[in-house]
Amino acid sequence: MIARALLRFLQRTPLSTLMAVLGVALGVTSIVSVHLISATVAERLDELIPRQLAGFTHFLHRADLQADNYFDLRRRWRSGALPDVEGLSPLIDESLLVDTRQVRAIGVDLFSADIGVVEGAGSAAAEEWRWDGVWVDESLVDVVRLPVNGIIAAPPGTLVGDIGVVQDLLGWPSSRISYVGARFVSPWDDLRSLGEALLPGLDAGLPEVTPALSEAGWQIVSLARQHPASQFGKSVLFNISALGALALLVAWFLMYQVAVSWLRRLWPVFERLHVLGVSWRELGGYFAAAMLVLGVVAGGLGLAAGYLLAVQLYGIAIPQAEPEFSLDAWVVLKAAGSSVAVCLLGGAVAFNRARHGIPAERRLHAALILPLAALAGVAFDSSGLIGGFFSIAVLSVLTALAVVPLLNRLRLHSQRLAGPLLVRLSLRELFWYPREFSIALAGLSLAVATAIGVGLMIDSFRADFSRMLDRRLTYDVVVRGGDELAGIASELAATPDVSRLQRYQTVALRIEGAPFELIVTKVDAFEAARYGLSTPLAPDAALLSEQGARTLGRGPGDTLEVDGRELRVAGVFSSFGDLVPRVIVDRGSGLTGRLESLSINADDPARVLGAIRSLSSAAEVELQADLRRIALDTFDQTFAITAVLITIAMVVAGIGVYVAVTTLRLNRRSSTRLLHGLGIVRGESALMDLSLGLGLGAMAVVLALPLGLAFGWILCEVINPRAFGWTVALALSADALATPAFWGLVAAAVAGVLRFGRDEEGTHVART
Amino acid sequence: MEATLEVRGLCKHYADGDRLVEVLNHVSLDLAGGRSLAVTGPSGSGKSTLLNILAGILAADAGMVVLRTGEATVDLATLNDAERTRLRRRHIGYVYQFFNLVPTLTVWENTVLPARLNKRLDLDARAGELLDQFALSARRDTFPEVLSGGEQQRVAVARALVLQPPLLLADEPTGNLDATNSKHVADLLFSAAREQNVALVIATHSEEIAARADQRLHLNVDTPPLT
Ligand SMILES: Nc1ncnc2c1ncn2[C@@H]1O[C@H](COP(=O)(O)OP(=O)(O)OP(=O)(O)O)[C@@H](O)[C@H]1O
Ligand SMILES: [Mg+2]
Repeated sequence: MIARALLRFLQRTPLSTLMAVLGVALGVTSIVSVHLISATVAERLDELIPRQLAGFTHFLHRADLQADNYFDLRRRWRSGALPDVEGLSPLIDESLLVDTRQVRAIGVDLFSADIGVVEGAGSAAAEEWRWDGVWVDESLVDVVRLPVNGIIAAPPGTLVGDIGVVQDLLGWPSSRISYVGARFVSPWDDLRSLGEALLPGLDAGLPEVTPALSEAGWQIVSLARQHPASQFGKSVLFNISALGALALLVAWFLMYQVAVSWLRRLWPVFERLHVLGVSWRELGGYFAAAMLVLGVVAGGLGLAAGYLLAVQLYGIAIPQAEPEFSLDAWVVLKAAGSSVAVCLLGGAVAFNRARHGIPAERRLHAALILPLAALAGVAFDSSGLIGGFFSIAVLSVLTALAVVPLLNRLRLHSQRLAGPLLVRLSLRELFWYPREFSIALAGLSLAVATAIGVGLMIDSFRADFSRMLDRRLTYDVVVRGGDELAGIASELAATPDVSRLQRYQTVALRIEGAPFELIVTKVDAFEAARYGLSTPLAPDAALLSEQGARTLGRGPGDTLEVDGRELRVAGVFSSFGDLVPRVIVDRGSGLTGRLESLSINADDPARVLGAIRSLSSAAEVELQADLRRIALDTFDQTFAITAVLITIAMVVAGIGVYVAVTTLRLNRRSSTRLLHGLGIVRGESALMDLSLGLGLGAMAVVLALPLGLAFGWILCEVINPRAFGWTVALALSADALATPAFWGLVAAAVAGVLRFGRDEEGTHVART
Repeated sequence: MEATLEVRGLCKHYADGDRLVEVLNHVSLDLAGGRSLAVTGPSGSGKSTLLNILAGILAADAGMVVLRTGEATVDLATLNDAERTRLRRRHIGYVYQFFNLVPTLTVWENTVLPARLNKRLDLDARAGELLDQFALSARRDTFPEVLSGGEQQRVAVARALVLQPPLLLADEPTGNLDATNSKHVADLLFSAAREQNVALVIATHSEEIAARADQRLHLNVDTPPLT
């Protein structure tokens, strides 16, 4: 009977029910779409790591590694010296040229049963293998001259074979290997993979735990660090997932607000029922059941909307690929779970507060402990991305907790408020009924703060990025790839039109186990200036990209060993967008690589372009102006998803404000009647509503500004370095501060002025 | 002298489900400025309904309500809701039993509110005098929540008088007060009516107050429900 009464209650308040469902559904939409996109992208990112290496958690490197070192290690492992290691295997992982193709050759121990199982399309049964054969990805089928055992799914240019075969291919002695693959086990493994399934990209956000290796002389590099491109992508995913969760958090605030408003009307009924002998527990149970129904409905709606949004967003962010989304059990679980959790938790907190009030001393404890927690997340780099986002979450909670005390304090001074009486009257309501507003206000300020923080980060990033492009894009024409580069270069060198011709040789190598791209070119004063160096680069010096410096922990003045040569780090340059750390050396260093690109300055770039086209049809030619545009377009595409997610959070926050204002109207019925008696006209009551909305918006903005600045700073100085290895200098762009503030005010004003459904809200309150 | 308020054949019914409840049945009255009328009757007899119609908050089903302000003579029955609201705002003071004050406005702000709504900044001085007269000056800048019930009603009376309205309506203004405060507030109302030439309509359950009025209108609940 109580259940039926509750359902009837929901029916009779169709508008707030609708708002609640809509808000929670939007929150679910946000996380579902992010999940679908992330899962698809994560799958592609996984493909960047050849399957034969993906089975290892870490790689062990050592200078001048010999097979004997491996056997020693293996013996020690067998004798129990490395209890956390589940498997060890020698590996070869080198790049070589086959004809003119750059090939990544991976040698694995085909005997080790538990790792390196080669499978994929066309893979033959073991009896039919040829030990001297190889497995290649599709692009190499017609390139290699060795027998092909099968085709594997791997990045283009990947070849896998037995160690011996690959050693022969490289011309290496049988005693030489690249590194050792190891599988470390940790009690957290299951939890981490569960987390990854629930939140694709999560693993990249967790602090990296490097297992201790007691054996001397070995360097240990994690799978992620050895494959920075994949890790880079996953870090992006993690950031987006964190942002996607924002709308859900705001939806929780909304649900709480709705529950408060409902309970305010249901409470007299509940109290009467309690007097009649229904226990509070039972009443709470019925209320929870009503919330559960809402949660299920909202979850279903959010799941469907999330799918549609994912298709749209994917089209914006990655226009060149067709998405394949699967609504698997994880997504359904996530949608239903989060939506039900949001509804139940919001309802439960509201119910308990309605019954017991809010304990005051807890606030004080929180005010002491939370700032310390926020500081810890920022201060310790080892806390990873999670640490950074933890700080953001803690600061948000702190702001939410500050709302009520702040409003109470303002109330003490509200007597001095000036302006028209009706405006004063409405603004003061903010301070008079802080409980009705605090959560909605916190939700709105959180949404605005996030918009400010992300906006600041994007603007700062864009400024740094375009400054880097300004400095770096000093050539008119760039030619890449193709085997004819050498020919083109000598042809162009003889052209009077060409005022400068720069040759870049590239080679992939490992420095202290971490993969690097080495670039060899003539670094005279002109070229050095592109990397922020004022003098030509000495033959024994090197330039490190910011990521490289971070990976190796080196800075200007330190030394570095590259391919057996000792080099001094002359400078560190910014390298936004790089997937792999880079090191640049002068031609005089004696290091060499393959000629991969040419940069040209010419009096008439268009003519040079024509000349190159006539020399070769294969070479990729780009004009500087295009490069800049493409780079910035890509940049903006990357952040399109962000904008959509923030907008969703803002809308949910706006709904929260609307619900809060409606709740207030319930409290104010006697005031409303009184004002009507005094002859208030429609325009005046609209003015009052608008003042209330704007006042609320202004409060939210005031709270959001410091919070947003903190978010921006954390994103630039903490999240970016931890996720991508580069630092962004926080610049206070007026636009990033003003735009979210403006929309926050608009959302609040609209929520204040909206009238529909307001009368519905009061119809069943006992007539006075 | 012409009556400030003239009511003829006023009828009002409410629909309660599919039942019609006749509340006011051909009510007529005349009230001149400076005189008071007590409306009495059992609970549910339609006292508040009558006052609400006189204030233009509710529209009557039939009959006429003529109000003579200094400026014009109007029949409320011929006005629409917006016009009645404007009339009320300028020419009618209203005191309720409770919730008379806007909680987020100070005593002073509550008092001058009608003046401000009518853009009559010149009436600030009068508002100050009224507060003085009602012994409320010390409370000027406090918010209503800290006032006693008697003080709240006095502020409400002061507010109702700020505009020097021709008609003052009071719906059980002393219903929530003890005897002393009740008498004090009633004194203020009756003396204001006399001294400021206001027509006062006061709905009350109190025989004592009703006895002080110049005229009396008794309402009954005996009207049978019509279908
Ligand atoms: N909006 C309404 N809809 C339906 N019936 C109403 C409405 N307002 C009042 N009534 C009914 O009209 C009748 C008169 O109500 P009214 O409030 O005018 O009485 P009253 O004399 O002021 O009573 P009290 O002394 O208790 O204040 C009552 O029966 C009441 O239930
Ligand atoms: Mg009444």
